[in-house]
Amino acid sequence: MSYDIYLVGVGGQGILTLADLIMRAAVHKGHPVSFFPTKGMAQRGGFVKAELRLGRAGVGPHIRESGAHLVLAMERSEALKGVRYARPEGDFLLYGHVWEPTAVMLGEAPYPPLESVLEAIRVSNARLVYLDPKELAKIDGAYVAANVFVLGAAFGNTRLGEVLSAHEMIEVVQARWPHRAKHNAAAFDAGLRVRGTS
Amino acid sequence: MQTKVLSGNEALAYGALQAGVKVVTGYPGTPSTGALTSLLAMDLPGRHVEWSVNEKVAFEIAAGAAWAGQRALCTMKMSGLNVAYDSLISIAYSGCNGGLVIYVADDPGASAGMAEQDTRGFALMSDLPMLEPSSVGDTYRLTQVAFELSERVKTPVFIRLVASIANAKIALKIDDLLPPAERTPTLERNIAKYTKAGAAICITQHQDVIARLEKASEVIHEMGLNSLQLAEKPGGLGIVAVGAAAAYLEEAFDLAVEYGLDKTEVSVLRTVTTTPFPTVDVQRLFAHCNFILTLEELEPYLERGVYIQAHRAGFTGKIIGKLDDGPLSRVGEYDVDHVLQGLNTALGLGIPVDHFKGNRATETLAARRPITVCAGCPHRGTYMAINQAIQNLNLDKDNVMVTGDIGCTILGMNPPFNTVWTEVSMGASVSLAQGYVHGGVRTPVIATIGDSTFFHAGIPGLLNAIQHQTPLTVVIMDNGWTSMTGMQVNPGTDETFQQSGGRRIDLAKVIPGLGIDQFFVIDPYDLKGATSIIEGCLTLPGVKVVLSRRECAIQAMRQGKHAGNVRLIPEKCILCKQCITATGCPALSIEAESIAIDPALCNGCGLCAAVCPTGALEKEDGT
Repeated sequence: MSYDIYLVGVGGQGILTLADLIMRAAVHKGHPVSFFPTKGMAQRGGFVKAELRLGRAGVGPHIRESGAHLVLAMERSEALKGVRYARPEGDFLLYGHVWEPTAVMLGEAPYPPLESVLEAIRVSNARLVYLDPKELAKIDGAYVAANVFVLGAAFGNTRLGEVLSAHEMIEVVQARWPHRAKHNAAAFDAGLRVRGTS
Repeated sequence: MQTKVLSGNEALAYGALQAGVKVVTGYPGTPSTGALTSLLAMDLPGRHVEWSVNEKVAFEIAAGAAWAGQRALCTMKMSGLNVAYDSLISIAYSGCNGGLVIYVADDPGASAGMAEQDTRGFALMSDLPMLEPSSVGDTYRLTQVAFELSERVKTPVFIRLVASIANAKIALKIDDLLPPAERTPTLERNIAKYTKAGAAICITQHQDVIARLEKASEVIHEMGLNSLQLAEKPGGLGIVAVGAAAAYLEEAFDLAVEYGLDKTEVSVLRTVTTTPFPTVDVQRLFAHCNFILTLEELEPYLERGVYIQAHRAGFTGKIIGKLDDGPLSRVGEYDVDHVLQGLNTALGLGIPVDHFKGNRATETLAARRPITVCAGCPHRGTYMAINQAIQNLNLDKDNVMVTGDIGCTILGMNPPFNTVWTEVSMGASVSLAQGYVHGGVRTPVIATIGDSTFFHAGIPGLLNAIQHQTPLTVVIMDNGWTSMTGMQVNPGTDETFQQSGGRRIDLAKVIPGLGIDQFFVIDPYDLKGATSIIEGCLTLPGVKVVLSRRECAIQAMRQGKHAGNVRLIPEKCILCKQCITATGCPALSIEAESIAIDPALCNGCGLCAAVCPTGALEKEDGT
């Protein structure tokens, strides 16, 4: 088994934490895993990516273009930077949150419309799963952590669940933040049950 | 034995501990920072670990410890090695006593900015062995080897990682940590070794350094560090691979099998060094193979060595790599496709071009996302004040040179500020600015630099400006931390955070002591006051220094400090967006009726309120 995951998003969305959680679950299960997060210029509001390579010992940290079994994007525009890594017949999960750069906010620069992004993903021949950010679950009136929700959605909507079990994933999430265990389990579970569109 | 999830940086730190390192010094720099950070987070009685003021100082401390017979490690990024190199050459020629290891991290792909510098060139120049791990696991093992090699040969040894190994994480089995063996420090008086007193000594040292590299080559061979697998059948392809490129070989073979590769017909040499060159192994490859593929990221150092050995061996087969119009690139990071491309060319596998490229066509649609300073960052106020001062003097911003420097302060080059023009190297802003003045620029020249960068290499430039009374304004943006690399302590950091017994050095006391007539301390959150001071400086003669001082907002927030509160009065907001245009603050966004403030991000610096023309934003002072 080898399973490569390419993750993209914006600093502050918790994408590196999400990737770290998957790594921990894989390590826990005894799978070889390489996890390469971006460092350096990554900060809140900047482009962030991470590469996870499961199931192959001694592998180099980079995933080849067209090689990712799963591309997981947490921001609509940044999803475009994941397209070149999408493997034909692989999964591409887009959580379509929009995080506008300042120039876009001021109307000075364009931002890609949803349909162009979805079309770009379809053209890569990956199996698109689009998750409307409006689906983000609430508990007691407050939104749950989007990254834990999206992690659940990845298990419910892609073949990640064939590599790692959702049950073990939840345990890892709970162990990471013991005093938020119940809350995060509910967030994960809500993601698990949500159905994306293609 | 225990299993830990470790990055390459952490594996290097554990390897050094396992080797009994006594003294560790370094200066932060992505992608190398994590090694020393992880050691500082541990309780290590009997060992000394510090962030030094710059890489040259760090290296000299490590060398002193090694000359006293201890094992010492010095860590830095590639740019830092350039700073340390003056001493490094001297010490390379002297050799060492205890094990001395220099960890340097290169950044192919320049994900952290700066240069795609291949520091293997420095190993050639100094005749020092340089180990090049190809994985995180390799890093742990080879760090220990580096100390052993250093002590056996009495030479400093480099260990070089690239970003993708330094920051990648894997689960790694590591040995239980033993306390370091106590060594009594030795004081060796040996003028011929430790000084450069006269040509005879210098020439002998040159002969010695050459001999030590030769010896290192023998020791590496004897330790069996390189792996050579010769195909059963002679006459096929021989591959020489080093560093990160070697990590993709097996994966590339698996992909190439689909295009007809027979793995058993390929011979492979995985070398752990380019310097010393693996001559014996490469000669065995020439004797067995008809053509050669060299795999290495960045510059063709290994490949050049292969050409030289080919000449010596009378090898006439094809050598495939970067030289001689080879298919491989000197630019960027490698992944499996680079290795596959090499195999494709070498073996004529006929892999179609589109196999190597994903769909990039739509990437250009992605919104540009230039990074800016954090919400509440004090640098924001300084850039705004500089811009405002220039405008108040009726100067054209395009005619006012503002040199920039390394670290968070360089973000002043990005929108909405567009203040800073240059980025060169640590401390260069102050000296470059003097060059512009002497070059005849008649408008005011401003240099901007952060606190840690100023301590690191900015002070000599300022001394020079004072000595020569070169008219310029130096703005030191003092946020108390080395922030860009992840919040390291520097000489100006508050004493609470200094290592036990450490002292803070207050720039507000240092700078007046240099003989500056015009010295001002400003609060960058006070836009009006800061602007007025900078405006004044731009009209004064001589050297002016402005110390713009406020603690890094991230660190202040972590300590529970809030600069204040900014209250939005929505009915007064006319959506002129002046607050966003001027500050670019990530805590501000536009909603239907008014702008909005993200309370989780806002630290109440009040810079948005200072530019709001209608009073819709109000600053209330905080703790």
